[in-house]
Amino acid sequence: MNSPSSFNPNSLLLAALLLLSQLLLTTCRNLGLHQLNYDGADDSPTYIWPLPSQYTSGNQTLTVNPNLTLFTSGNGGGSRIVSEAFDRYKRIIFEHASSKLPSSGIDYDLDKLTILVHSDDEELQLGVDESYNLLVAARDAHSVIGEVTIEANSVYGALHGLETLSQLCSFDYGTKTVKLYNAPWYIQDKPRFEYRGLLLDTSRHYLPIEIMKQVIESMSYAKLNVLHWHIIDEQSFPLEVPSFPKLWKGAYTKWERYTIDDASEIVDFAKKRGINVMAEVDVPGHAESWGTGYPDLWPSSSCREPLDVSKNFTFDLISGILSDMKKIFPFGLFHLGGDEVNTDCWTSTPHVQQWLQDHNMTAKDAYKYFVLRAQEIAISLNWTPVNWEETFNSFPTSLNPKTVVHNWLGAGVCPKAVAKGFRCIYSNQGFWYLDHLDVPWELVYYAEPLEYITDASQQKLVLGGEVCMWGETADASDVQQTIWPRAAAAAERLWSAQESRSSSTTVLERLEYFRCLLTRRGVPAAPVRNFYARSPPIGPGSCYRQ
Amino acid sequence: MVTSPLMCLRYCLTESNNLLLLILLQNLKERSSAEFDRMLRMGRTRLKIAYIWYLVCFFAVYCDADDANEINIWPMPVSVSFGSGNLHLSNNFELITEGSKFADASGILKEAFSRTIDIVRSSHVVELDTSKIKPSLVLKGIHVVISSPSDELQYGIDESYKLNIPAQGNPIYARIEAKTVYGALHGLQTFSQICSYSLSSRGILVHQVPWTIADQPRFSYRGLLIDTARHYQPLRVIKKIIDAMAYTKLNVLHWHIVDTQSFPLEIPSYPKLWDGSFTISERYTVADAAEIVSYAKKRGINVLAEIDVPGHAESWGFGYPSLRPSENCTGPLDVSNDFTFKLIDGILSDFSKIFKFKFVHLGGDEVDTSCWILTPHVKSWLQKQGMGDSDAYQYFVLRVQKLALSHGYEVINWEETFNEIGSKLNPQTVVHNWLAGGVAEKIVKAGLRCIVSNQDKWYLDHDIRWQDFYSNEPLENITNHQLHSRVLGGEVCMWGELIDAADIEQMVWPRAAAAAERMWTSYDKLAKDPSDVRSRLSHFRCLLNQRGVAAGPLEGLGNTRPFGPGSCYTK
Repeated sequence: MNSPSSFNPNSLLLAALLLLSQLLLTTCRNLGLHQLNYDGADDSPTYIWPLPSQYTSGNQTLTVNPNLTLFTSGNGGGSRIVSEAFDRYKRIIFEHASSKLPSSGIDYDLDKLTILVHSDDEELQLGVDESYNLLVAARDAHSVIGEVTIEANSVYGALHGLETLSQLCSFDYGTKTVKLYNAPWYIQDKPRFEYRGLLLDTSRHYLPIEIMKQVIESMSYAKLNVLHWHIIDEQSFPLEVPSFPKLWKGAYTKWERYTIDDASEIVDFAKKRGINVMAEVDVPGHAESWGTGYPDLWPSSSCREPLDVSKNFTFDLISGILSDMKKIFPFGLFHLGGDEVNTDCWTSTPHVQQWLQDHNMTAKDAYKYFVLRAQEIAISLNWTPVNWEETFNSFPTSLNPKTVVHNWLGAGVCPKAVAKGFRCIYSNQGFWYLDHLDVPWELVYYAEPLEYITDASQQKLVLGGEVCMWGETADASDVQQTIWPRAAAAAERLWSAQESRSSSTTVLERLEYFRCLLTRRGVPAAPVRNFYARSPPIGPGSCYRQ
Repeated sequence: MVTSPLMCLRYCLTESNNLLLLILLQNLKERSSAEFDRMLRMGRTRLKIAYIWYLVCFFAVYCDADDANEINIWPMPVSVSFGSGNLHLSNNFELITEGSKFADASGILKEAFSRTIDIVRSSHVVELDTSKIKPSLVLKGIHVVISSPSDELQYGIDESYKLNIPAQGNPIYARIEAKTVYGALHGLQTFSQICSYSLSSRGILVHQVPWTIADQPRFSYRGLLIDTARHYQPLRVIKKIIDAMAYTKLNVLHWHIVDTQSFPLEIPSYPKLWDGSFTISERYTVADAAEIVSYAKKRGINVLAEIDVPGHAESWGFGYPSLRPSENCTGPLDVSNDFTFKLIDGILSDFSKIFKFKFVHLGGDEVDTSCWILTPHVKSWLQKQGMGDSDAYQYFVLRVQKLALSHGYEVINWEETFNEIGSKLNPQTVVHNWLAGGVAEKIVKAGLRCIVSNQDKWYLDHDIRWQDFYSNEPLENITNHQLHSRVLGGEVCMWGELIDAADIEQMVWPRAAAAAERMWTSYDKLAKDPSDVRSRLSHFRCLLNQRGVAAGPLEGLGNTRPFGPGSCYTK
């Protein structure tokens, strides 16, 4: 709802309601805790995660017809992305057997859902309009039958609207029907940050496609929108690269590999859920596995990392990888790594040492030379390069101005980067590294990407943040327990407007509720309250209290 | 195509994979010292030759499951022969049922068939267009012939199947023959493990054809217990457990629904019982339970429901406080109150409409009768009846057994009932062992039937290695072969105190799979030394991961995380 000129009659109606609801916004927060055994409905929290930026609700309870029908309008309403998502959410909302079939004796309050999507442009990119309005009309003298309407500028906003709608509904075990509580609802929502990422590492442990898909599906429940795919590292090279077909000899086994079509399938699966996939090629360090297929990339067979800076072949190969990846990954950002580069092998290997001398470079110069040359390759392919913060820390003035600096070492680099005009992604390892098991949910929740940045124009340069699931001790068996629920804590930080976030006393209750919602959807999300992440429950009890 | 060990070695070396060395070292570590002693005795030269030959054989086994002599089927079938050919699985792989007497009115076979194809194709995107391949190299479909028209799933039904996959034909069809549709389902599971994605063809390869497999389970009862009272398990989680049970050919889901901590199930006759659920949303409706039963049935899995009385039932009293001896002495259920038995009768009556398995589990374990002695009205009732507390325990168990029998169930009770009541138990009782090993022998000698779950080997919530799950033998020490049939089988138990929806899969798998082979595979085909099956189990664990099941590493005691980066196949 950015430009009033795009309003059609439907949206004018919504606009009028919006006006009305703005008036009610502060007075109408009586959200019943219908789902739980709690009493004291009046001060109970809103169980939507992440919390929408603006909303009002009432105190009506509406029954939802299991044969809920979808009506679409607007240029983008006919999109398959919308209709497939509607089917997925119907399966989630009407999960209980007894809620699937309409009972003949019941008049349901809600029979139809209207989704209005203004734009038919389905390109998914950073900054795509993800806003939506969700209206659940009251049952009153004017309308006997309740209505649900989602309005969005893009299909991706509509997906977020569906997710929110699914969280408003819950199964009533008493009447055996699905109910939507606290109607009427008016929700006007948009993300605080355009980049809301989760890193998956498929080099330390291969993650089968089914597992990747489970993670992507669960990301959409928390409205995360970037899967940062750390495909390759020193331990293994699982991805097929047609230009250099020996590269994936660096895979652990031939079973632990992704073909080009597999990768495209993941990108497509993610797109249908509004999630971008940002690929990473981490150079020149973290690349030892490349040499399994092409030993020339190693400085020597006994000193294997970083990649040999002295050979043109190294850069030809990077260029080949990136050209191949360009065909798979349409996202505008591409991650070039650049972290933790130990240049000892360059200075201790005679032919590299010689090359350094010939070019009058120190090892540090060579590191800069490598990163900048890789950046040029990415930029020539129309990619915006993202680099880990060491690149900025080592040579801030030389980095390409388009560079997005990816923080991880600690607090403080984003303020410096944006002060120099760079864009930045926040992943402070003290809070947002999910493999750090001793970071409880509160620390994750209260980490702030805009910390120490007060200037509004500089704040705009912080694209958002990302939680990182490094894979050393996370494989298919425990990766999801390590991700959830802490990634959800960060997701609210990244989505919800600061002023709309609920008070800290209710956050835990809301997060526990969301964690249980994840488990109901089949996502193995770990207990919230344990100090150490992914540890088992300490004893019997309700999901909502652990 | 790699056909000989030597070619295989060459192939492996050109693939130059570090994994092989890793596995080799791992394997060498695990070889029995006897084998090394034998090698040492052979003298230096012969040792070298033997060692090289060992290496060659070893690579032949490990380098490429598509081509080598390794069978990666879990659990191992009774009788297997196979060849060295490969076929491509047709893009339009079809099911034909000509000649089958099974009408498949409820779609059990059709749905199982399409699930099979879906999981086979889930590991990678299939790019191969099999219409462009010579028909003589394509497996066009599977012909399933079932001789029984019935779809009734019950204890002891015929689960055998024969699976043939020819190497030649025009066109080529695999064939499954089975007495029941549930045998055919096992055949499809086996078939799915013979198929795998091939990077060279970019399609699904049916490897090592021709296959001739004749298979049947060693035990008719192959169970897994889940506990939804200590932690509620959402429907989806239970369904995922059932899916993976089918992959391992387990056939009984023992649903420990209710316990002291919570009562999540709806009981229409006594609608306040589920007031004992943790919260109003951690519940199962009757329709949910029926859905679980039907979901399981479609996968050949029976659901054994349990009410654990008279102990482990405190949560019942939330809805009906008169079931408790007193307000502050809340368990076991009040033996002196007729309402207690009326209510149990109501539960069992409701059960009989949902749970069609011929057994019901009545618990009876860990009963502390102090509340009966301490509560005045119960105590005076005991005196009036001339009963001690252990008599009352016996009275309770036997009275509930009668109720269950009156609803057409055969009864299962935990082993305490046998230890304390012994010969007075209904002769139809199946005694469920758990306290220790060696109990089965006593039970069958006493003329009763038995299910083995000794906690030192088959409790999944305990710190127990997969090797111990594998080695636990239900017929241990039962020398009289005529008594063997009284051991119905075994069950691994996933008690829920310290597990919830987040970690249940990882705690169950792969250790439950290790026990599943013990219960399925004929005794003489079971490995005497578990390390002999390590690579096959490791392969199966990675297959579970590929299918989206969060099975943990083999190393460790069940809640272990991978200790560092590496291949799934080495963990």
